[in-house]
Amino acid sequence: MSTTTPATTPAAPAPAPSATGRARRGLPPGLWQAAGPAAVFVVLFAVTAALQPAILSGVGPINLTTQATAVLLVALGQAAVLHVGSIDLSNAAAAVLGAMVLALALGPLAAAAPLVTLLVMALVGAVNGLLVAFTQVPSFALTLGTLGVLQAASLVVSDNTTVYASANGEVVSWLFIQAFAGLPVAFWFAVVVAVLFWLVLRRTSLGQALTAVGLNETAAVFSGLRTRWLKVAAFSFSGVMAGAAGICIISQAGAASSFGLGSDLLLPGIAAALIGGTAITGGRTNPVGVVFGALTVALIPITATALGVTPQARSLVYGVVVIAAVALTASRARGAVVK
Amino acid sequence: MSAPEVVRVSAPTPPSSPAPSVTTPPALSLTGVTKSFGPVHALRGVSLQLGRGEVLGLIGENGAGKSTLLKVLSGVHEPDSGALEVNGKPVRLRSPEDAARAGVGIVHQEQSLLTNLSVAENIAMTSGSRAKAATRFGVYRWGHLNRVAAQVLARIGVDVDPRTTVGDLSFVDRQMVEIARALQVDTGAHASPVLILDEPTSLLERDETAVLEREIRSLREIGSVVFVSHRLDEVMRICDRVVVMRHGEVVGDRRTSEVTEDELFRLMVGRDSRATPRERRSREDGGTAVLQVEGLTRGHAFRDVSFSVPAGTTTAIVGTNGSGREEVVRAVFGAEPFSSGALRVAGKDVGSWSVASAVRAGVAYIPSERRVEGMVGGLSAAENLVLTHPGEAKKGPLLRPRARRKVAETWFEDLDVRPRQPDLALERFSGGNQQKVVLAKWLSSPDLKVLVLDHPLRGLDPGASETVNAQIRAACARGTAVVLLPDTLEEALELGDEIIVMRDGEVTARFDTSRETPTALDLLEKMV
Amino acid sequence: MTGLTTVTDVLTPAPPTTGARRVRRGHGRLRSSGEVIALLVLLLVFTLLNPGTFATLTNARTVLDQAALPLVVGVGATLVILMGSIDLSVEGVMGAAGMTFVLLSANSRGGESHGALALVAALAVGLLIGLLTALIHTRLRVPTFIASLGVWYIGLGVATLLYGTEGIPNFSDPATANWASRLLLGLPHSFWLAAAVVVLGLLVGRYTRLGRSAYALGADERIARDNGVRAARTKVLVFVVAGGCSALAGVLASLQLGAGSVTLGAGTLFLTIAAVVIGGTSLGGGRGGVARTALGVLLLTVLNNGLILSGVSPNIQSAVSGAVLIGAIVAAAWPHRSRLRVVK
Repeated sequence: MSTTTPATTPAAPAPAPSATGRARRGLPPGLWQAAGPAAVFVVLFAVTAALQPAILSGVGPINLTTQATAVLLVALGQAAVLHVGSIDLSNAAAAVLGAMVLALALGPLAAAAPLVTLLVMALVGAVNGLLVAFTQVPSFALTLGTLGVLQAASLVVSDNTTVYASANGEVVSWLFIQAFAGLPVAFWFAVVVAVLFWLVLRRTSLGQALTAVGLNETAAVFSGLRTRWLKVAAFSFSGVMAGAAGICIISQAGAASSFGLGSDLLLPGIAAALIGGTAITGGRTNPVGVVFGALTVALIPITATALGVTPQARSLVYGVVVIAAVALTASRARGAVVK
Repeated sequence: MSAPEVVRVSAPTPPSSPAPSVTTPPALSLTGVTKSFGPVHALRGVSLQLGRGEVLGLIGENGAGKSTLLKVLSGVHEPDSGALEVNGKPVRLRSPEDAARAGVGIVHQEQSLLTNLSVAENIAMTSGSRAKAATRFGVYRWGHLNRVAAQVLARIGVDVDPRTTVGDLSFVDRQMVEIARALQVDTGAHASPVLILDEPTSLLERDETAVLEREIRSLREIGSVVFVSHRLDEVMRICDRVVVMRHGEVVGDRRTSEVTEDELFRLMVGRDSRATPRERRSREDGGTAVLQVEGLTRGHAFRDVSFSVPAGTTTAIVGTNGSGREEVVRAVFGAEPFSSGALRVAGKDVGSWSVASAVRAGVAYIPSERRVEGMVGGLSAAENLVLTHPGEAKKGPLLRPRARRKVAETWFEDLDVRPRQPDLALERFSGGNQQKVVLAKWLSSPDLKVLVLDHPLRGLDPGASETVNAQIRAACARGTAVVLLPDTLEEALELGDEIIVMRDGEVTARFDTSRETPTALDLLEKMV
Repeated sequence: MTGLTTVTDVLTPAPPTTGARRVRRGHGRLRSSGEVIALLVLLLVFTLLNPGTFATLTNARTVLDQAALPLVVGVGATLVILMGSIDLSVEGVMGAAGMTFVLLSANSRGGESHGALALVAALAVGLLIGLLTALIHTRLRVPTFIASLGVWYIGLGVATLLYGTEGIPNFSDPATANWASRLLLGLPHSFWLAAAVVVLGLLVGRYTRLGRSAYALGADERIARDNGVRAARTKVLVFVVAGGCSALAGVLASLQLGAGSVTLGAGTLFLTIAAVVIGGTSLGGGRGGVARTALGVLLLTVLNNGLILSGVSPNIQSAVSGAVLIGAIVAAAWPHRSRLRVVK
């Protein structure tokens, strides 16, 4: 059935709109999107450093980037899905499962284990994407369901305890031991992924097509783009990133469990993506901004401590900062209904 | 489908209405109303009167200014100049609320009912005070609500249970509810409301409109009606007078008893058909058919539609709303399915295909809903231009921004797109320029076999229209098969090598313009 | 997600009704019998599988007690979702309100009972937090997804602050502690509470201006506004109500737990939203209702209960809920598939 209303009365030619899309703070949206997240991070970092100069040296930056890496990977995957206008609520659960898969596979497969993990999680993501694209169900509900399935899978695989990487841990543990320019190699890998993602979005036809889907899926269909496969690609990427986050979990902790390290990456990942300037409606994403978003998210607890906020109030600060950051960085079309 | 049974409350109306008495002021009076949007003059000095208890028909082709006039009457737009009087009182309608307060109600083409709520709730919602009266401590007084709704519905003799959910009603019933709702605008018993009906029958099947026609005629007892429609036979049956608009002006104001449909057509179209100077391509010259449509069917939307378009010729398909022509061409583009029939492009049978494969096969489609379907507003003009067929602008998987810019600049020059900023977001261009970019996008296909245009000149100023028309002719000359859904019959007559007329899902006539010269009358007869 | 589930071919017109123009459909008639049938099937299957343990009064009480919490939360969540929004802050509010309630009741930290004030204060906490979410959304134009996400954390933070650094506050007065499981007319108090909330929710949704405005906003916010619906006011009130429901749920949860805990709401959001969707309320808003959600909750609760009794590991509970959710939405969406349909 046609989705367009049969209108015979022509629209009066719209006068060329004056500067639309101005962000509420009066800055052109493109600029804000590029610089905003970085600015937010820099300001936060400066404030923290001023209160506690100790974080500038020694283990300070290492701690920060270590904690930011897994969040960043999950956030990049989420950003890809948000970019096409959907959402992936299952990626954090996938990360945990991925970590467990890796832990179990390291023994028998050694160096091939990480690759296998990434492939398996890519498949998981692809299933999400196929269901969303081809059965035309809302991604929120679908990935909520997948989340449940993956959580249960993790519990079953781990038998409700911790899964340890029994052997060959050194295949991945070096990621956080080796440093480059003073920061863990794993973090740099994640940054490289972000930069590559940025390049794909800006410089390749694939990226252009993804952006078209996010901005106006109907028009993308009418332009002959294969929108369903593009969505599958986005979800698969999210799966791969979840797998990568799982690798980080094992690398850092040597073990994986449903309640240990990395088991609550969902909200920080989403927050990082949003603070990084990703528009929740799709089509506007800056992966480099997401890097700063992840750093910000990892920094918030540290800042809170530096400010003398009690550890009990950490969540509170987290929530306030997330809302404030998104309120500032989100690009909102004028007059659009905000849901 | 069977005609719905009608349980009427009020008596049938006499065929002719009494002439408005000299002492009662006209329900509506416009004098010299003008309205422009930038360079486009939508209304040029429109003057007309609507008598008390009269049903006035308003007709005109698309772009004649009808919708702007309606927007002025309903308070959506304020006129640039001119006077407006309702029931003898001068008014300034700055908003729809002002219009409602002045006693003018409008029922739009697009339904404005909330389909998940009941009829009574929708009726109550139109005004804050009415809604307030319906609640006590925030709880709806359902008894009161339903009673009021029943009264409102009874006022025009509609027999629908006010407790029904709107989504469960038929189109006719929903229209009736909308009308009843719109008539609430004037709560004072003394004054008489003006009701504007914007193409209320366009989405109805033939047998359903009979019901609506009866209702509309009976509204004369309550107020005055402005009835906008494309269906001239209806206008002649229902209305006392008809006003014809063309190019933003009133070109005719006649009593329906004193005019024929032919004369109305002539007024609408401007002149009789003339021998168009354009060189007509004989359809045999075109060679083998590039596009062949055979027996295409999908339920009630279109039935057994067949036509073929040889290379280098233009086939125009005309019809009113509900004719099915939009659905047919979208099926050709793979955007809509069909249940039986065959579709062949360049000899190859393509079955019920998808947009992606249609594009690959060399079919292009310029949609009528430009903003939703035709363009990705957030991308730049250049990006939109190379979205489907990147050509030079892409090397392998990588984009080449400089090449893209060059391509865009060339097109901008050729089509005179302004401003000359290909990297500006397309949504910031005016409608005409947007359409040029959309057209360019498809014209840059390396192998354009079939070009389908769905109301391509809708909302375009004359300059942009000229450019687009020239491009269509050029594409044709290059050998592309063009399928055109024109806004006006003039377009069809001027550009079409073959003109196909559709009505209610079926092809009712075909004209080969190289061998015959149909007039607009001939087309309209078959359309309605 | 609600902000993204815009279906562009929303309202396909109803086919013309033949004959009877006096069309009348009762408001509350459960349109989709699919879920009812599913529930009956489940009841039947589990009775057959576990004759001795499933279809007993004790088990019925257990099921109803387990259903109580998601039922209460579900009422608030449904109203929010009907409006086209989403409230992710449920667990945060539960934590904060629950903690407030415990600390103002007789507890192991030495606090004395403030009687009914404890309940009132807990509810007030929920109402205020709901108000906060609504204001962030309406004033700062932040999508409800993010606003409620942030408020979730804020709620957890409040709960943590209240918790402080001392030991776990247990209810010290057994009369309070086991109120939830004490029986009234053979069924636990928790169930009666939930039933009352569900009935109130039904009434609000069907008979009050607030409820009908919520439906209107969910169906089409633009048309609703044009028709005079006060969007901001409705949103604020609905979120406040939802906050109250979450608060009540937090109180209930703390009673069921017997102590105050910051994370006592863990897992509630998933269960509730799954129940809402399975029950048939559309995430885009405008369709569905409290009755449907109640059905969805019962379905999931019975399913989980039956599976546990059948010896299935509790680990796969969330998989079952997840699979049912996926199955339900795919089944619902399948007939409406079309090449141009855009669902995010």
